[in-house]
Amino acid sequence: MNRIYLGLAIIPALVLAACGGDGEEEDPEDTEVFGTDDGEATELTYWTFQQLHIDLFESAVDRWNEENPDDQVTLVAEVFPYDQMHNNLRLALQSGEGAPDIADIEISEFGTFLEGEPQFESMNEYVEPIFDDAVEERFEIYAQDGEYYGTPYHIGATVMYYNTEIMDEAGVDIDSIETWDDYVEAGQQVVNNTDSMMATVETEDDFGYWAMVSQQGSDFFDENGDLTLDNGINISTLQFLQDMVYEHEIAEPAPGGEHHAEEFYGYMNDGGAASVLMPMWYMGRFTDYMEDLEGKIEIRPMPTWEEGGNRTAGMGGTGTVVTNQTENPELAKGLMSEAKISEEANIALWTDLGFDPPRYSVWDSEEVLEDNQFYQFFGDDIFDLLAELTDEVEALNVTPDTASVANELNTNVFNEAIRNEGDPERALNDAAEAVRSGATD
Amino acid sequence: MILRKRKMWSAIITAGFVVITIIALFPIVSLLVASFQPASVLMRDGLTFLINPAELNLDSYVAIFSEEASQYWSWYGNSLAISAILIVLSLFFSSMVGYALSMYNFKGGKLIFVLVLFTLMIPFEILMLPLYQLMNDLNLMNTYMAVILPMIVAPIAVFFFRQYALGLPKDLMESARMDGCSEFGIFFRIMAPLMVPSFAAMAILQGLMSWNNFLWPLVVLRSSDMFTLPVGLATLLTPYGNNYELLFAGSLLTVVPIVILFLFFQRFFISGLTVGGVKG
Amino acid sequence: MEKTTEIKTKQDRLYTKPSLWSKIKTSKRIAPYVFVSPFIISFLVLFLYPMIQAFIMSFQSILPGQVTFVGLSNYERLLTPNFYTALQNTTIYVILTVIILVVIPLILATFLNSRLLKFRNLFRASLFLPALTSVIVAGVIFRMIFAESDAAVANATLEFFGFEPLEWRYGSVTAMFLMVTLASWRWMGVNVLYFLAALQNVSEELYEAADIDGATAIQKFFYVTLPSLKPVIIFVSTISIINGFRMFEESFVFWETSSPGNIGLTIVGYIYQEGISQNDLGFGAAIGVVLLLIIFIITILQLKFVGAFKDD
Repeated sequence: MNRIYLGLAIIPALVLAACGGDGEEEDPEDTEVFGTDDGEATELTYWTFQQLHIDLFESAVDRWNEENPDDQVTLVAEVFPYDQMHNNLRLALQSGEGAPDIADIEISEFGTFLEGEPQFESMNEYVEPIFDDAVEERFEIYAQDGEYYGTPYHIGATVMYYNTEIMDEAGVDIDSIETWDDYVEAGQQVVNNTDSMMATVETEDDFGYWAMVSQQGSDFFDENGDLTLDNGINISTLQFLQDMVYEHEIAEPAPGGEHHAEEFYGYMNDGGAASVLMPMWYMGRFTDYMEDLEGKIEIRPMPTWEEGGNRTAGMGGTGTVVTNQTENPELAKGLMSEAKISEEANIALWTDLGFDPPRYSVWDSEEVLEDNQFYQFFGDDIFDLLAELTDEVEALNVTPDTASVANELNTNVFNEAIRNEGDPERALNDAAEAVRSGATD
Repeated sequence: MILRKRKMWSAIITAGFVVITIIALFPIVSLLVASFQPASVLMRDGLTFLINPAELNLDSYVAIFSEEASQYWSWYGNSLAISAILIVLSLFFSSMVGYALSMYNFKGGKLIFVLVLFTLMIPFEILMLPLYQLMNDLNLMNTYMAVILPMIVAPIAVFFFRQYALGLPKDLMESARMDGCSEFGIFFRIMAPLMVPSFAAMAILQGLMSWNNFLWPLVVLRSSDMFTLPVGLATLLTPYGNNYELLFAGSLLTVVPIVILFLFFQRFFISGLTVGGVKG
Repeated sequence: MEKTTEIKTKQDRLYTKPSLWSKIKTSKRIAPYVFVSPFIISFLVLFLYPMIQAFIMSFQSILPGQVTFVGLSNYERLLTPNFYTALQNTTIYVILTVIILVVIPLILATFLNSRLLKFRNLFRASLFLPALTSVIVAGVIFRMIFAESDAAVANATLEFFGFEPLEWRYGSVTAMFLMVTLASWRWMGVNVLYFLAALQNVSEELYEAADIDGATAIQKFFYVTLPSLKPVIIFVSTISIINGFRMFEESFVFWETSSPGNIGLTIVGYIYQEGISQNDLGFGAAIGVVLLLIIFIITILQLKFVGAFKDD
């Protein structure tokens, strides 16, 4: 018995010892609190999976509190790992308890949140007034039945990043690349004249493939939400990627499986590939992880499939929502609008994050044109290019089964077609079959 | 002749074990080495045989003991507290149950033992969602309690204590009864002390289980100041985190408390594991 | 003598005032129920209730604000290639880990118990050390060792022996190798200790008798050691089978929740993917119920086969 008492006595001691570590009351690294702290302020919580997104809310809270002295807010921002944040949010919304006021939801996850009755507040009153001035397609992604629930972080205009050092060595003028055929031809020159590959193909992420599909007006679902994953365009696009690897031998699977892997950053930084197809928001990855490429990278539109075809596609994204579990819906919506929809917010999207902001009106503003690290890295014509391209952004159709399509692509389809040189048509047929049979309705 | 043969065999077997031990320890030594290397190089190239001595540095350790890493230490504190509470409670309850199952012949006892075996076979994961809802209803989300509660009566520990108690001398109980000891007195004063080795063994195994538990804390812990070490470390692995410096040194330091626990109880460990113990 | 009298007076007092508590305290019939009550409570609240819930959920489509009964459709949807892949991966993993984690620790423990081996304590402790790391930590190390680059330890070793470097995380065979190796590395020492502990109980006399009969070391292993270890072999293999079927983390550390060609997909991984990541709770629950049946049948068969129900 003594032994057990002894054991019980140890607990408080250990608990105390354990708490000693954070007794200084420092803000923990992943939780940040902004705004006034005078007890009058309303506390709102915000969940995200991307540390960078917090900066946007930090400045928004300051602006809000300045403009609304009677309606002060404090924001508690929490960063979670990607999967965990989405799962926690899902479980919290499902059970009707424990959700934050504001949350970020990644595009391929968003559809699953629209199943059943969406547990979000409608943002129409804030979103609709700015449609004349913004790329509306990027708001449509996060809408259902006319209700706009989510606000985008960027247009995500997909572009080709060329490593000019390698292109020069290969003797290719990047402005001469207009179609994908030109691209393949240039790729052969690169492979023949340098030690680099022309391109890498992601096998665990679908940004590149989805962009090439969307560029041709196709998608994984049609406007009615019916699956079109294995339609002709999608099959021939996958075939094209496979041919780049095996027939033309100008591309290889991306090291680490995706363009977000450390292995890939190292490879690209060392001149492993002459080009990479990614959205505009990928600029930040260059400045953060591939510093050796400063001044060597130039941005051009995507090669087209035919003359006059689309030269870009809006890709990736995260929708920020206000959940219906908030006790202060008006305040939360107001703050989100300040952080995501206002002109100041759109300027901050560019200056702080290097994202292509959805509102046109800020593109020629002084703050946006002011010199920064992105202009230094990629040259100063970024917004001219963007202005040229935005009309060519197609909307993406996101459904509850989008997550399941992404999962099929990233596990089975790319692995089969790109790594194992399997038949693209069969790979996509099988995937479509799996998604259909697993469909929830 | 026989002696020489014995010596030869002894040398061969010992040499074999040296090789096995090197293999067993290699990953841990690797982690030690890695914790002195730049994290970004490791993430790109993996661990290599050719280590550039000029690259070795203490940056990871500086980072982990700096103010920015206070988060890491609160994970550490959470893991320590949760494991300590869990060890004490689960040993207390599980030993009682295991003891009763082996020492008493009572109606339903066999059924309960079958239920113990049954729960032992059920992957916790299929109960996860209903349990999550239960924790939510009880308002326990994001608390130590939510992490601890489902593990408090560990079927494996019950099973183990039962096996161990089978080997205890039943006549001791009878004589204690004749001396007027209550049934609880018999357990706490007479039988439990005899089971000390099994307590030590279970303390190590339950401690290990709790210290390294991942999926359940991942689901019920919400804010990063409540995370346990495995959950916290997993957050450092995500491509959005960009905190790799903490990862390697941080991983290495997680092993320390559990090694201390092991050294502390090791004396009893083998004898404690001896299922059906107490030799005649 | 004094002691006995003191207890007796205490007992007398109890008899004069027989409260309910004292009855419970001294009743051989009631006490065991008090002892097992923590298990009963936890079984009912934390096990039976969620289990029934999970069972009910497997017949439902569960969306926020819309819970509908869908009959067997969740079960019908199990007939997909992904589920077969998960089942296949898990089965192979179980078979490999059970074989490796029973046979090798048994042999190692026999040697560790033999006087022929020097520094036994040192070896014993070193073999146990990996068990002290968490899967997450172990995964971090393994990913560094088995990295894609040609210079990484595993690939450099292959190259040294004249083989081509491998992309470990992309092939189905190497993927299984990674998961099984990780699990074996971590659990080897624990199972060695289980066997070692059991070996302490094997009667010396049996070995002496075998010596007199002129048995070789190998004969002694098969005719004395193995039969004496039968209970612990049953225990260790049962635990290994169950742990194998509920495996998730060994795959998570290499690929998180989705792996190329689903080479790392396990049944529990599939529950996580469908039930939690894709918000299909009913389907996730159905996978869980099927997993439950599989484990149940296999364990019963295994225990029946080795005759575990005969004694005790």
